[in-house]
Amino acid sequence: MMASVEFIVRIGLWFLLPPLLPGIVNRVKAWVAGRRGPPVLQLYYDLARLWRKGVVLSDLASPGFIAGPAVAWVAVAGAALLLPLGPLGSLLSFRGDVILLVYLLALARFCTAWAAMETGSSFEGMGAAREVSYAVLAEASVITAVLALSVQSGSVSLARMMEPAVGSGGVLLAAGLFTVLLAENCRVPFDDPATHLELTMIHEVMVLDHSGPPLAVILHGASMKLLLYALLLVQAVVPLGGLSFPAAVAVLAGGVLAVTVGVGLVESLLARFAFRRVPLLLTTAFLLCLFALLVAWNGGAA
Amino acid sequence: MTDGPILFVAAAALLLGCLLGPRFPRLWIALTLAGAAAFIAASAHILGGGEPWEWRGGFSVGGEQLHLRLDGLSALFLALLGVVGGAGAVYSRSYWSDAQYPRSAPRGRALWSALVVSMGGVLLASNGLHFLLAWEAFVLAAYFLIILDPDSAGARPAGWLYLAASHAGTLCLFGFFCGIASRTGSWDLGPMRDNAGLAPLFWLGLVGFGLKAGLFPLHVWLPSGHASAPSHVSAILSGVMINMGVYGLVRFTGWLPVPHEAGWVLIFGGAVSALAGMAFAVSQTDLKRLLAYCTVENVGIIGVGLGAALLGSEQGGTSWGGLALAGALLHVWSHGLSKALLFFGAGSVVHATGTRDMSRLGGLWKRMPKTAALFAFGSVAISGLPPLGGFVSEWMIYLGLLGAASSRSPAAWAAIPAAILLGISGALALAAFVKACSAVFLGASRGGTSDHAHESPDLMIGPMAALAALGAVIGLAPAPLWPSIARAAGAWRGPVGPMPWAVLALGLCNLVLAGLALVAAALLGRRVRDGGLKRAPTWSCGYAEPTARMQYTVGSFSGIISGWFSWALRPQGWSQRPRGLFPARAHRFERIPETVLEDAVAPAALGVLQLSTLVRRLQHGRLRFYILYIVAGLAGLGILTAMEARP
Repeated sequence: MMASVEFIVRIGLWFLLPPLLPGIVNRVKAWVAGRRGPPVLQLYYDLARLWRKGVVLSDLASPGFIAGPAVAWVAVAGAALLLPLGPLGSLLSFRGDVILLVYLLALARFCTAWAAMETGSSFEGMGAAREVSYAVLAEASVITAVLALSVQSGSVSLARMMEPAVGSGGVLLAAGLFTVLLAENCRVPFDDPATHLELTMIHEVMVLDHSGPPLAVILHGASMKLLLYALLLVQAVVPLGGLSFPAAVAVLAGGVLAVTVGVGLVESLLARFAFRRVPLLLTTAFLLCLFALLVAWNGGAA
Repeated sequence: MTDGPILFVAAAALLLGCLLGPRFPRLWIALTLAGAAAFIAASAHILGGGEPWEWRGGFSVGGEQLHLRLDGLSALFLALLGVVGGAGAVYSRSYWSDAQYPRSAPRGRALWSALVVSMGGVLLASNGLHFLLAWEAFVLAAYFLIILDPDSAGARPAGWLYLAASHAGTLCLFGFFCGIASRTGSWDLGPMRDNAGLAPLFWLGLVGFGLKAGLFPLHVWLPSGHASAPSHVSAILSGVMINMGVYGLVRFTGWLPVPHEAGWVLIFGGAVSALAGMAFAVSQTDLKRLLAYCTVENVGIIGVGLGAALLGSEQGGTSWGGLALAGALLHVWSHGLSKALLFFGAGSVVHATGTRDMSRLGGLWKRMPKTAALFAFGSVAISGLPPLGGFVSEWMIYLGLLGAASSRSPAAWAAIPAAILLGISGALALAAFVKACSAVFLGASRGGTSDHAHESPDLMIGPMAALAALGAVIGLAPAPLWPSIARAAGAWRGPVGPMPWAVLALGLCNLVLAGLALVAAALLGRRVRDGGLKRAPTWSCGYAEPTARMQYTVGSFSGIISGWFSWALRPQGWSQRPRGLFPARAHRFERIPETVLEDAVAPAALGVLQLSTLVRRLQHGRLRFYILYIVAGLAGLGILTAMEARP
């Protein structure tokens, strides 16, 4: 009984909270630029409006064009439910759940890219190609970060991996994971979600032909992914184990807020990189995670 | 009924199919299915908990007493052989029909039965000599199946390459089994791990079995062999035949002692194979070649699992070693099933359009919806994505690697790089299969090849659906399968321990995920229908006249990744740019060569050829020189003997 109540509460949280994050990012960007900016809750309005709208479907699109975003959303939601939430712990924790989380995100990528290729548009092909290519480097960083946490904690399940604080390697891991967060969520300097030049986009260009409810599902899934990465990053580097319940929740929320503001600041202060520099940046992220792994390895031996 | 009679029935049915197949196609189907079912029944009995079956015949073949054995490990492979052998036979009925190929179809049936029965023989043989005989038999049967189509331009050179590579492998295996026989005094095979003198033979076995399994860089025969063969043949080659090499590696690392470096070499070799295989796969434009290179990757993943198991066993039976082995063995199944499914799908595409070139296909889902759905299913499975079979086996291998890393055992130095490389190759696999699916089935048709395509008949769809269903079972219910996998893994070097609770949890997650995905897709679909749906041309930022030629091609899709690996792929390109005010035709060709074959094996072979040409100068037909050679040879021998005798 408790388990099902908890399941529903968690689903509710993951359903309601994520659209807040892009709102905060936009607020920060507006504040730095000295504009008033859209309301923090803008994405909620957008989602509600899109859900009520009709759909214009490409002649070429198969049923996969609709199913793709739905499956991708389920995959991201599944990954989100596996993630332990600080003092709340995780819903279901088992050895190797971290691999399932990483691969669920990969499943979401497969579905999004599939749906993008449905329309036969070259722009969307371009976006899908970039998405799956850069993900190769991001995946290497993520697996290395997982290895670092696993070596650090001597465990292979998320709940235990997130408990011990990463020592000096924490800074390296945070930098690496933050870069991966930017890349995987298609933020500046990898991608510019606000641009209108299709040639330079990754994620946004994949969803050009989506409209109505499927687009709402995609946008919600993207914000859920951002929250997931932010939570992962905060829990990987901030020790929450010793804190009391309210303090831990407050630290967790504060951490997520800090990451979100960080994304907004990066977006305001940095220009998007040229595409040929993207692999370089991702390789740097990989190296940061690799050094974190080495630190974790040495830290335990000493 | 015990396993002996069942296996006898299987052998009899298949041999009969070999003889009668050319004349009676319906009878052949029945016989092959009966043989396959008997293989599956016998294996299921062993894997379900029956006693391993061992039989020594009262007569000898080739001077050696017949000795057959079916234990958990061989049963695992035998069951897969039964499944793919049966499915392929049904598929070939429409795919390679007598009406279309009156000359080669009858021959193909006999060869198919011969291939299945001889591979069964390899799995059952427990005598070195008979193992080699059965091995040679299936190598030859597969050769004739690869060149089955007399009109295919690429088939003959691919067949030659396959034959040469296979015989290089067989040569190593000759050395391997002769070495065992000379050191133990008998051709009989069985557990002999206390005989430490046998350890160096591992290297011979690695090359011999590695050539068959297609481990990079021993994979040179594989891409062209798989691509040029008829698709049902490619399916059994890739789904089962390369697994004979895997079987050999697993079997003999279990039975024989191995050098200390064996685990390290296998784990690194496997990881490199996984990465290189997928890097080549991403860049291919030929659908079947892409699938073939993907096989190289999957064999690499199995190699990583086996290598980790060896390292775990060296360090005294760790639990992560057992998990890695279980993962490797399960991956044999999940790869075999989904690869056979994908090759059947590719065959249906070739059947319908007449081309394997992905840059000329597109938009096939409209005309072949069932094939498209099944191919997509296979793609998700083979990319190792949850909730399907490929993920479960890869996950077990990851658990083995992460276990080695987190327990800080010395094996972590191999496990950590291997895990990172597996992650990269997994992401590359995703890119490759998004590319393959989208280029063939999505978007608009390029170049008119798809316009007259037709959905495949049910006899071709049926086997694909059966393989997909089996693959889904592995993904959704791994826990009930664990006892069988554990029995197979236990036949390697001893029991692997109880089922980790995580396997049950993963199965549960996969089940929930699959259910939710279906529900979500249905709900969203309904919402879209209810909310008002309009059809229009692809918007694509406002093109008025989009044409199919504007679509992203396979080359452009994989361009970024091919660029990263260009040092290894060495892509070749020719282009003619548009020039002047009224440019004439402009074009660009790109080709990814078989780098290892063209830049390493071919020059080496050429060197050997030149050397042989030099040696041939000795042979010129002048008798007096020949007499001189003999005299010189005798004198040399005399001097040698004299020097030996002196002290």
